[in-house]
Amino acid sequence: MNLAAHAPILAIVVPLLGAFALPLWAKLHKLLRDLWLVLVAAGTAALTVLVAVQVYTAGIQVYTLGAAWPRDAVAPGGFPIRIVLAVDALSAFMGLIAALVAVVGFVYAWRYLAEDEGKTLALTLGTLLWAGMLGMAFTGDLFNLFVFFEVTSIAACGLIGYRTWSSRGPEAAFKTMVMYTVGGLFVLLAIALLYGEYGALNLAHLARLIQGTTVDRIALGLLLGGLLMKAGAVPLHMWAPDAYGEAPAQAVILLVANTQISLYALFRVLFTLYGGLADPAIGWLVVALGTLTLLVAALMAVVQMDLGRLVAFGAVSQIGYMLLGVGVGLTVIAARPAYGLVAIQGGIFHMLNDAVAIGLLFLAVGAVEKAAGNRNLGNLGGLGHDLKWTAGFFLLGSLALAGIPPLNGFASKLMIYQSSFLLSPILSALAILASILLLAVFVKAFQGAFLGPKLSRPEPVPVPMLVAMGVLALGILALGLFPNLVVRYLVMPAADALWKGRDLYLRAVLGR
Amino acid sequence: MTLLTGHGFWNPLLWLAAAAGVTVLALVVWARGRRDYTRGTDGELPFLSGEKMEGAHVGGGHLYWGFVEGLRPYVERLRLFHTGLVNDYVGWLVVILAVVFLIVLVGG
Amino acid sequence: MIGNTPFAVCMVLVLLGLWALLFRRNLIKIVIGIKLIENGVNLYLVATGYVRGGIVPIYTYAPPDATMVLPTPQALTLTSIVIGLATTALMLAFVVVIHRHKKTLDGCKVTELSG
Repeated sequence: MNLAAHAPILAIVVPLLGAFALPLWAKLHKLLRDLWLVLVAAGTAALTVLVAVQVYTAGIQVYTLGAAWPRDAVAPGGFPIRIVLAVDALSAFMGLIAALVAVVGFVYAWRYLAEDEGKTLALTLGTLLWAGMLGMAFTGDLFNLFVFFEVTSIAACGLIGYRTWSSRGPEAAFKTMVMYTVGGLFVLLAIALLYGEYGALNLAHLARLIQGTTVDRIALGLLLGGLLMKAGAVPLHMWAPDAYGEAPAQAVILLVANTQISLYALFRVLFTLYGGLADPAIGWLVVALGTLTLLVAALMAVVQMDLGRLVAFGAVSQIGYMLLGVGVGLTVIAARPAYGLVAIQGGIFHMLNDAVAIGLLFLAVGAVEKAAGNRNLGNLGGLGHDLKWTAGFFLLGSLALAGIPPLNGFASKLMIYQSSFLLSPILSALAILASILLLAVFVKAFQGAFLGPKLSRPEPVPVPMLVAMGVLALGILALGLFPNLVVRYLVMPAADALWKGRDLYLRAVLGR
Repeated sequence: MTLLTGHGFWNPLLWLAAAAGVTVLALVVWARGRRDYTRGTDGELPFLSGEKMEGAHVGGGHLYWGFVEGLRPYVERLRLFHTGLVNDYVGWLVVILAVVFLIVLVGG
Repeated sequence: MIGNTPFAVCMVLVLLGLWALLFRRNLIKIVIGIKLIENGVNLYLVATGYVRGGIVPIYTYAPPDATMVLPTPQALTLTSIVIGLATTALMLAFVVVIHRHKKTLDGCKVTELSG
C-alpha cells in the first residue's frame, strides 16, 4: 500500500478507531492502554506531518474515498459523486496545530489525570476530539464538515462534563452542548439549502456553481452564525469561559484548538466557498465581531477571581485577534492585495502563537489547581517558592499572550495592528488597548498566585506535566525568535491558499 | 531574520540587541548611584501601602485595585450579559444571526 | 400541487424549536426544542430529495424507466438522525446529572457559572 497517498484518510481513521479501542485495552491492563495511546498518538502525528510535508512541497492533496484515483471524484459528466478529502496548506497548518496540542495534552494528562477519576474516558474522548478536528480540517465535502463538527461537539462536551461528581462540569457541558447543537443544526440547514439549490455537497463544485442568490446568502448567514458560535466570537462566546473553566487542563487546550479549527472552517466558507462573491460588508462584519471579541473578553478578564475563568476570557479575546486579522484581509484584499495578505498572514500566524501561549497558560493553571487544591485568586499566594518551573511557564505564557516582544505573540499581533491600522486607526488602537488590559490582568494573576510570602505547602508538580509545559515554552521562544522562518515556510503558503489558492483548490478537486 | 509586516518590519534579534544595550545603560546608571545609604533600616523594606507587617501578601483581588475599580462600571454592565442562563446564550445566537442576515441580505 | 408547503412546514418546526429554546426555562424542554429544530432540518433534507411520482431508489428492483427519489438526502438524513441521537442522549445525561446535584430542572437555578 502506498502510505503517502492514503495519509489524509489514515490521519483521521487512526485516531478514530484508536479512540474506540482504548477502553478495550484499558479493560486488559492500564499499561496496554497507555502503550496503545502512545502508538495511536505517534501514528496520527506522524501521518499529519507526512500530509503536511506533501502539501507544502507538492501542493494540494486530494483523496477520494472509495475510488482508485483522486480524479474519480468527478463523474465523466463533470458531476462530483464521491466524498473527497482536500488538504491544502491551510488545512495542513491546522492539522499541525491540532497534532502539537494533542500530543502535548496527552503527555500532560499522563500524570495530571487520576486513574480513578475517569482517565480512560478522558483519553478516549481526547483522541476522538483530535480525530474530529483533523476531519474538519481535511474534508472537502460540506456534509462531512457537519459530521465532523458534531463529532468534535460530542467529544468536547463529553470532556467538559465527564467529571460528574462536581456540579459545575456537567452544567458547563450542558450549556456548551446546547450551543454546539443549535449551531450545528444551523450549519446543517445551510448545507441542506445549498444542496437543495445545486444538488451537490462537494465544496469545490459548489464554489464553482454558487451565484449569490437569496438562498445562497441565507445559507451563508446560517453558516456564519453556526461557525462563529463554535469559534466563540462575542457575544456567542458565553459557553467558552464556562467550558474552559471546568474542563480538565489537557482537554482545554484541545478545546482551544477546536475553536481555531472552527475559525478555519469559517475562513474556508468565506474565502473558498463564497470567494467568488467577496463582499466588503461581510469583511466589516468579521472585523466588527473581532474587535468586539477582543475588547469585551479582555474587559471581562479584569474582574475574574477564578484563575481558570480569567485565563479562559484571555483565550476568548485571542479569537478576536484572529477574526480581526482575517476580517481586515477580507475587507481590503480586493482593493489592496499586499496589505490584505499581511492581515491574513497575521491572523493565521496568531492561531499558532495562541495555541502555544494559551495552551501553556491553561496547563500552568491546571498544575496550580493540582498543586494548591484551588484556583481562587483570593486564596492563592506564594506558590512561586515551591513551583518554580510552573511560575516561570505561567509568566512566559502571559507575556507571550499579551504580545510583549520578543515573544511570539508580538510578531503576529504587530502584523494585525499594522494591517488593521490601514483600515481604520481606531481598530488597531482598540486591539492594542485590549493587549494592555490582558497584560495587566495576567500580571495581576501572576502576582496574586505565585509571588508573595508562602501561604501553603503545595504538592510538587509531576515531571510529565512540566515536560509538556516545557515543550510549549520552547515553542514560544522558537516562534518568538524565528518568526520570519515560520511565516515564510508555514504561514505564507497557508494564507496564499485562502486567497490566491482558490482556483488551485477548485482545479485540484474537480480536475479542471 | 527580518519579518516584513506591511508598513514596517520586525526582527527579534535586533530587538534583543537593543534590549541588551538598554540593560547595559541601566546598569551603568545604577552603578553611578549613591553607595552611602544606610543598611538595615526601614528604607530597605518593601512599601505595601504603609503596611509594616512582615509577610503581608497583596492578593490577586487587591493588585491594581484602582485600575480595576476604574473599569468596574463598564465591566459590571458587561457582566450583566453573562447571566449563565442557557436561554440567553441561544438568544444571543439569534441576535447575531439577525445581524448577519441583515448584512448578508440587505447590505450586500 | 403542494409546491413549497413542506419547506414552509419545516421552517415552522425550526422556529417552534427556537421559541422553546428562547422562552422555556425547563432543561428537558430545552432539549425538546433542540429536537424540534433537528426534526425540522431533517424533514427539510428529505423534502429536497422528493421527486413527484418517484419510487424507492433501489436499482435492482426498479422498472427500466422509473423515476426515483434522490437517495443522497435520505442518506444525509439518516446520518443526521444518528448524530441527533448521540447529542440528545448526551444532553439528557447532563440534565440527569444536573438534577442529581441541584434537585431542580429550572434553568434559572442552574446558573452557577456566570459573570
